[in-house]
Amino acid sequence: MTKDDAPRASPDALLAEASREGRGRLRLFLGAAPGVGKTYAMLQAARAAKAAGRDVLVGIVETHGRADTEAMVADLEILPRARIPYRGRLVSEFDLEAALARRPSLLLVDEYAHSNVEGSRHPKRWQDVADCLRAGIDVWTTMNVQHVESLNDVVQRITGVRVRETVPDTTLRTADEIVLVDLPSDELIRRLAEGKVYVEDTATRATQNFFKPSNLTALRELALRQVASRVDSDLLERMQGGAIEGPWAAGERLLVCLGPDDAAERLVREGKRLADLLGAHWFAVTIERPGVTLDGPAAAKLDVAMQLAKSLGAETQSLVGSDLPTEILRFARFENVTQIVVGRARVGRAWLPWSKGSLADAMVRRARGVSVLVLTEDREAAWRRWTLPEMGSWTAYPAAAASVAAATLLGTQLVRFVPLPNVSMLYLLAVLVPAILIGVWPAVLASFLSFGAYNFFFIDPAGTFTIARPHELLALAVFLIIAVTISAVAGQAREQMRASARRTRAARRLYEFTRTLSALPDANAVLEAAASEINAALGRAAVILRPEGADLEIAAAWPPDDRLDVPARTAARWSFEHGEAAGAGTQTLPSSGWFFTPLDVADQRVGVLGLERPGDNAPLDAEARALLAALAEQTAAALGRALLSTEVRAARTAAETERVRNILLASISHDFRTPLASILGSATALIDYGERLDDEARRDLLAGVRDEARHLDQMVRNLLSMTRLEAGALEINRDWIDVGEILNRIVESARRRGATQGFAVDLPEEPILAHADGTLLDQALGNIVGNAVRHAGPNARVMLSARRSPDGVTVEIDDDGPGVPDGLRPQVFEKFTRHRTSGADGGDSAGLGLAITKGIVEAHGGTVELLPNDPARPRGAAFRVHLPAGEGAPA
Amino acid sequence: MSLPTILVVDDEIAIHRFLRPVLTAEGYRVVQAMTGTDALKLAAGEDPAAIVLDLGLPDFDGKEVIQRIRKVSQVPIVVLSARDREAEKVRALDLGADDYVEKPFGVGELMARLRAAMRHAKATGGGVLVSGDVSVDVAAHVVRKGGREVRLTRREFDVLLALFRNAGRVVTHTHLLREVWGSANEGNTQYLRVYVGQLRQKLEDDPAAPRLILTEPGIGYRLV
Repeated sequence: MTKDDAPRASPDALLAEASREGRGRLRLFLGAAPGVGKTYAMLQAARAAKAAGRDVLVGIVETHGRADTEAMVADLEILPRARIPYRGRLVSEFDLEAALARRPSLLLVDEYAHSNVEGSRHPKRWQDVADCLRAGIDVWTTMNVQHVESLNDVVQRITGVRVRETVPDTTLRTADEIVLVDLPSDELIRRLAEGKVYVEDTATRATQNFFKPSNLTALRELALRQVASRVDSDLLERMQGGAIEGPWAAGERLLVCLGPDDAAERLVREGKRLADLLGAHWFAVTIERPGVTLDGPAAAKLDVAMQLAKSLGAETQSLVGSDLPTEILRFARFENVTQIVVGRARVGRAWLPWSKGSLADAMVRRARGVSVLVLTEDREAAWRRWTLPEMGSWTAYPAAAASVAAATLLGTQLVRFVPLPNVSMLYLLAVLVPAILIGVWPAVLASFLSFGAYNFFFIDPAGTFTIARPHELLALAVFLIIAVTISAVAGQAREQMRASARRTRAARRLYEFTRTLSALPDANAVLEAAASEINAALGRAAVILRPEGADLEIAAAWPPDDRLDVPARTAARWSFEHGEAAGAGTQTLPSSGWFFTPLDVADQRVGVLGLERPGDNAPLDAEARALLAALAEQTAAALGRALLSTEVRAARTAAETERVRNILLASISHDFRTPLASILGSATALIDYGERLDDEARRDLLAGVRDEARHLDQMVRNLLSMTRLEAGALEINRDWIDVGEILNRIVESARRRGATQGFAVDLPEEPILAHADGTLLDQALGNIVGNAVRHAGPNARVMLSARRSPDGVTVEIDDDGPGVPDGLRPQVFEKFTRHRTSGADGGDSAGLGLAITKGIVEAHGGTVELLPNDPARPRGAAFRVHLPAGEGAPA
Repeated sequence: MSLPTILVVDDEIAIHRFLRPVLTAEGYRVVQAMTGTDALKLAAGEDPAAIVLDLGLPDFDGKEVIQRIRKVSQVPIVVLSARDREAEKVRALDLGADDYVEKPFGVGELMARLRAAMRHAKATGGGVLVSGDVSVDVAAHVVRKGGREVRLTRREFDVLLALFRNAGRVVTHTHLLREVWGSANEGNTQYLRVYVGQLRQKLEDDPAAPRLILTEPGIGYRLV
């Protein structure tokens, strides 16, 4: 191993140091037994800290009514306890939320190993402490050595008491300081006798023998050792972190092989102890055989063991392979493992001639350069319960019977041509076919039926079930054995086939899922699809939450539901904030009805995925968990991609809006400047040259001022109308108006403003009445004419006409100018669409005119369209406005 | 034909409407054009004494009108332009326009610019140029302020002379740089700021509030 070669800083040691920064520091007051004075010692130190000016808060301290301890707490600030309803009463617990909100510099939390009442955020108090540390709060806590997870077995062996409340060794290792609170055994027993010791654990109290001197001595030794080993590892860590040359850990690497059985948990604990003794890095591995799925309890056992191993600091790994020893040895070589720990296989199919014996035997036989430790069982392992194959559907049985009937029929025909013994082969066929196609039990039924039919039809005396000769009985027995064996083997093959088909389906499903998601354009579509796919794949209600401001909101759910109860929301929030799974089936808020896992892409957390706990509370099997992990990963990736593209689109939209705004400002300023220039010019002309001008010239200048002021007013109205149209606040004051009159007025006003074009207004004899808002219609049609004046050229002709049509009034405004360029046609009625006819000054208008026309006409329930150019009208722009006949329209 | 002719080019009839009576009252004959094509035609046919030109024209760019007129004539051109289009004004001036007026404008301002442009066209090189109490004797390279000689460096004199030659009109940075330092230095406006600063120190009564050499922000300088 290379790290032995040179004194250089071990990355692991540096990482451990780095991950501590920004976190609160944990000081643990460790004792050998209840009553040694841990709490007292902690409070004493806390008072000193407070005297030194630290902000000390008592999170929770049990004084057990001891006067001296109570006196110690008295002048410290105490956090009120949370009251959590549990089975009809209120249980007081450490209030984690309040502690986090209060954020003291130093927090005292008694009883590190305490189990919280159901309904708390975490099942264990040490998890609460972890949250506080993460929030940067220093925590002091107390614990007895018997609660250390890896010592659990040892303590039980010493004292005969099983301790239920345990703390993982890893959390112990993260403690920055461990303070040993020690008391000689005799002293403790004396205090006990004086009634000064309160023993909380009922199991402990029940056991009279717990406080025997021998027990206490052993526990003291354990505690001392724990602290001593801690000192060792601290030293080692410093040496590695500082690259100090010195006695190095021997570089032992330990591998523990776990199977789905009762021994797994014990193997893990032993592995941990060995690893600690050796100062070794250790692995816990399990092997999955392809095509073999574990049943619920077995999988659960394996899960528990693997999780325990993880919490005890092992690196866990699931391998896949059919040849167990080969896989394990390959992994061991790859990871430079020096010692392998296996349990002695209990079953061992040694009685089968082709069996290779137990795994332990195989490992011992094949391992090279690796020590193999075989752990034996304490007691005789229970025989594995023989699990019967599934019964299958009822229709399978008549099918099996039919198979036998067919064989019988065939046999009775064949027996005329061939000698009798070969007929039995037909029955083997009749058993084999259902065995392969249907299942074990129908095949067994077929075996018995075959046996009966063969006996009845073909063995003398035919027509009866009597067996004449003994050797025929033997033949029948052999026949039955063969039939059952065949059906069992065939059935197993079929099971494996099904399993592999299931995996193929899962793989295909994942592939389809990825493909579906990658094709979706936006985040919402991705979320919807993901929720429904995950629901379909795992058969559980799925929900995806996304951060929405400061909160998490349901972004998609399948089946569609937009509610989550408070515990579920809390779990989701925790999962999102800490980047770890939370809720049902985890160590955080397990009482919640949902399981949540964070959705991470690159270094961004995009949301959390939740699965509802099913009614029967069944955990997901390994295969489903792997699928869930893959689905979550794909969802996160697709979501990340969709969000990115949304961001890009939003940026583009913002840029477009910005562009539009600039165009609007530029064109408005231009539009306003021209009439203003005219007004200012005319006014200054009148002021400076008034007396040198004749009356007519003066009148004309004044008229110019008036006209341009009107023009400005018109533009202001256009802008206002646009704003109102956009806000949906356009008010229409309908009245009966003459459309012809409006057209004439528009032409006149255009001429007055200097339009040089020729205008022709074509109207029928009778007035054309429309039920409309005169001012608005004036504006709408005026904008079309204004367009023609601007774009058709100075010498163009503009034709205006109005006709009564069966369902209303049609107005056409038509010019023979260059017309609308093809590229502009589709958006001619959109805002800020302008045709640049002039050069440097840009367009002549804000590009609002036709948009306003369309808005006004449509507000009247009418339509406006740009007519296509055709041979009859080869050039020019022609607009047709249709207004519906109002109620009570004159006939 | 005795009256001098002014050609007004603008596509807005409203502008013509107030310019025509004013120019007529000032004693000019007014010819109007709405498009660039008409402007070129009339500039060639009517022999105007000056042209008032809007840069935004429906058929082609006003700057192109300047370019094409400058090929055949040095007739004074005053450009009408929007306030927010500095770059366009500079381009127009560099192409040979004599001055500009920002829209909207009072007619008095336009008339003053127009007169300055026409006066300059008549002025010839040499002799003594005078503005206020400052005079420049071109041949003798002598500058006087209030009758007392002012010592100028060669460059300062060149800058001042360039401004005097265009008195009353805006002179673009580019124009000044090209004239005094040569075309390689067209971008070095910091030279100008230094020399104009020195000229103001020597010639202005109050250099902080110049009355002789005015700054046209973003465009150039004007000697009045």
